[in-house]
Amino acid sequence: MIRRAIALAWLRVRREKGRTILGVAGITAIGALLFDMLLLGNGLLVSFRERLDRSGFDVRVIASESAVIAGPPIERVTAKTAILRRAPSIAAVQRVRLGSADVEGVQAAHHVTVAGVDPDALVPWSMIDGTFPSVGGPPAAIVINRNMSRVFHLMVGSRLVLEGRCGAALHPLPLQAQVSGIAAFQNDATDALTAASSYAAVAALCGESDSDRADMLLIRSNAAAGGADAAAAAARAALPDLHVLTNEQIVERFSRIEFSYFRQLSSVLTAVTLFFGLLLVAVLLTVSVNQQLGEMAALRALGLSRGRVMAGVLCESALLIGIGGTAAIPIGGMLSIWLDHILRSLPGIPADARFFVFTARALAIHAALLVAGAVLAALYPMRLVAVLPIAETLRREVVS
Amino acid sequence: MRRLSFVIPALVTAWSTLGSSSSPALLPDALVSRQLFEREHLSVGETVELSRSASGGAAKHFRIAGVYEPTPDPMRFAQERLELRVHLPDAEGLAASGPPGVPVTGINVQLRDAADAAGFASDVERRLPGVTARSTSASDDRVATFTVLDRFHLAIAIVTLLGSGAFLLALMVMLVDERRETVATLRLIGLTRARLVTQILIEGALIAGAGAAFGIVFAAAAEPAFNRFFQWRYDTALVFVRVTPAIAIRSVAFAVPVGLAASAVAGWTVLRRRTLLQVGR
Amino acid sequence: MVAARDISRVFEMPAGPVHALRRVSLAVDAAEYVSVVGPSGCGKSTLLHLLGGIDVPTTGSVMVDGVDVGSLPDNARSAVRLKRIGLVFQRFFLLPMLTAWENVELPLAESGVGRAERRRRTKDLLEYVGLAERADHRPAQLSGGEMQRVAIARALANRPALLLADEPTGELDQATGAQIVALFDRLNADGTALVVVTHDAAVASRAGRTIQMRDGSIVGESHRS
Repeated sequence: MIRRAIALAWLRVRREKGRTILGVAGITAIGALLFDMLLLGNGLLVSFRERLDRSGFDVRVIASESAVIAGPPIERVTAKTAILRRAPSIAAVQRVRLGSADVEGVQAAHHVTVAGVDPDALVPWSMIDGTFPSVGGPPAAIVINRNMSRVFHLMVGSRLVLEGRCGAALHPLPLQAQVSGIAAFQNDATDALTAASSYAAVAALCGESDSDRADMLLIRSNAAAGGADAAAAAARAALPDLHVLTNEQIVERFSRIEFSYFRQLSSVLTAVTLFFGLLLVAVLLTVSVNQQLGEMAALRALGLSRGRVMAGVLCESALLIGIGGTAAIPIGGMLSIWLDHILRSLPGIPADARFFVFTARALAIHAALLVAGAVLAALYPMRLVAVLPIAETLRREVVS
Repeated sequence: MRRLSFVIPALVTAWSTLGSSSSPALLPDALVSRQLFEREHLSVGETVELSRSASGGAAKHFRIAGVYEPTPDPMRFAQERLELRVHLPDAEGLAASGPPGVPVTGINVQLRDAADAAGFASDVERRLPGVTARSTSASDDRVATFTVLDRFHLAIAIVTLLGSGAFLLALMVMLVDERRETVATLRLIGLTRARLVTQILIEGALIAGAGAAFGIVFAAAAEPAFNRFFQWRYDTALVFVRVTPAIAIRSVAFAVPVGLAASAVAGWTVLRRRTLLQVGR
Repeated sequence: MVAARDISRVFEMPAGPVHALRRVSLAVDAAEYVSVVGPSGCGKSTLLHLLGGIDVPTTGSVMVDGVDVGSLPDNARSAVRLKRIGLVFQRFFLLPMLTAWENVELPLAESGVGRAERRRRTKDLLEYVGLAERADHRPAQLSGGEMQRVAIARALANRPALLLADEPTGELDQATGAQIVALFDRLNADGTALVVVTHDAAVASRAGRTIQMRDGSIVGESHRS
């Protein structure tokens, strides 16, 4: 029965070209939007997770739960770092000190973020050009990002002066530096000016050359000894007063808080789009069925069962939504490029962040929603056909 | 006495008043945000301990004098507003970093003449290098954020409009086609194409206008539900959805032309055929 | 073949019940040709609908080959219509997006007849009604008489023993109507029982037996001499 119903529905869809093309076009547009909202729901998280993993570290230690990227300092960090390095589940530890400075540009001074790390340990960025030497200075070796290279016309070997703005001193503390490399920093916004130098250099920039503190500790776990969870457990045991988060936990937190607006937006727009699309398809099918009541009654009179005629309506719904929903995937992909371009101009968004990321899960949910949508949209028209009084309809068609 | 179990130096807002607390209990007063009050199950009059160190060292004691509702901030609506307010002198030693003392991270200034704000700000920056001064009405990241979000929502609206336009056209073509015999009969009687097109356009405009009006009414009716949901979800007083006259006008300005265009195309599909063919001859 | 026993049909309307049929009994034998005549609103079409299992009597029973179709569930009644009864309507009710061939083939496909057999039978039927060369044309491309002939071919698809026709020439001119009547003669001669509802005396006169109805009741019966 289903095969015959599909065959007849396919004939109807193929031969009523105008109605089919317009209906499919509408479903494609709405379906593309639906698909994009599903991509948005997880896109930022997937993109964020990928960036965290690319940094080479999978556990983070901070002093406060109130901020993830940076917060109040961790005190006596040298001793704490040594403790962590002794744990078998921990492969590498890097301390990070964040500071800020002004650098004089062609027309005005620009505010630069400077990260201080131990040059001997694994660093959380990827080098594009040059190196980050473990020894050197003065002048202090500094790694800059592409934006700094462009804005200040710097290249490897160039010299510059940073005026520290991160301490409590009234007057800025100048730091003579020489560019040793150009790197890509994971969380750089499109217009960010970021640099990195040795821990000692940044501490001096902030007027705290003898302080033993860091803004966070980055840990790379030993995969053979239990991975990130084991490393996090070891860190929590060693440093009970501090907050230890795996990348997964950071992603979950961002999902719950920082990215929640986009996830909520995705959920709301998915629901609204689905409802809207269902309504439109249901109206289209209902009008179509109402126009064919005479034929439906004749088919019933000829001997087609109620279930058979209802199946025909369902198959027509499935065909329209199936064709439109499938076409919506590439259209949605192209639309997502446009929407992603719009959202990536949000201030402070990392340059390589992606709001719309294709995942198999989004595709599966899209398919499931299409199937559910085809059934739901056909419910009312199917009911019309199911309760159709054959004799009365035939009589009415003759009279009209 | 309670030790607040997290370090919140960044969220301590200290302010200077002409008369600081003179409680006979000798503990300085603190106001806590409602969210902090509820989360930690605090009570007014309770004594709490604040420390800038995770280990709780160098803690200071405060007495909770009251609860306040933080001003809703659209840039931070997803964050829990766990905040305290203390008098500026009492904030000594609570700073995240730097030497002992009372560091000030921001100064709010009320001018005699608000129109002077931009000039005042640039004057301050010139006199105090390293200090950023900004008028509260000046563009900043927040405006840019909402501009981007506005563009995003507009993009979605455009796609929705295209989709619904296609559907509307399909429906109009079907409905007009259903009346093709009526249309043909009217043509045979002597009504001109122009007369019939005008009829169809008027119908399309009425349907589109009624639909747009219904949509606006529906959106306005749904507005409280959306706001209540998001206000509950984020525990904030922010308003997330507001149907304004400008939005209503923009909706009608989009919807009616789409409806008219769909009617025009539908009318053309019927009127382009020869009349006699439409009555089955 | 088919027998209506004391059937009544009452339609409940907002303005009050309408007695479309009042205790009508009628039997049609195999290969019999019966016409039903009467003024408009006398219950002719209602009688046909009940004989065809399209509708169910309020009281009484309709037996088709000994089975009370009124007591069957909807699916079973549909199956009786599909395989045992052919229906022809005044408005033809062909599916507009299907060709003549596809319209005729439809009941065969729904009955589960294999493809080769379907093809053979559809070809035979279209030849029988004289429309073999119009097989690929859709209803919009056919005349009224041609559409009715396609409808008759469709009604004969599953070789029903009984053909019910409701005003089959109502939308046709006299000459075309005569073609349809001639086709009915041929069908009956080939062994198909026919019940034709008509207000056209010329059509009714071709039947072996004519039933006269008025106000929902049978008021007379005549036989062709």
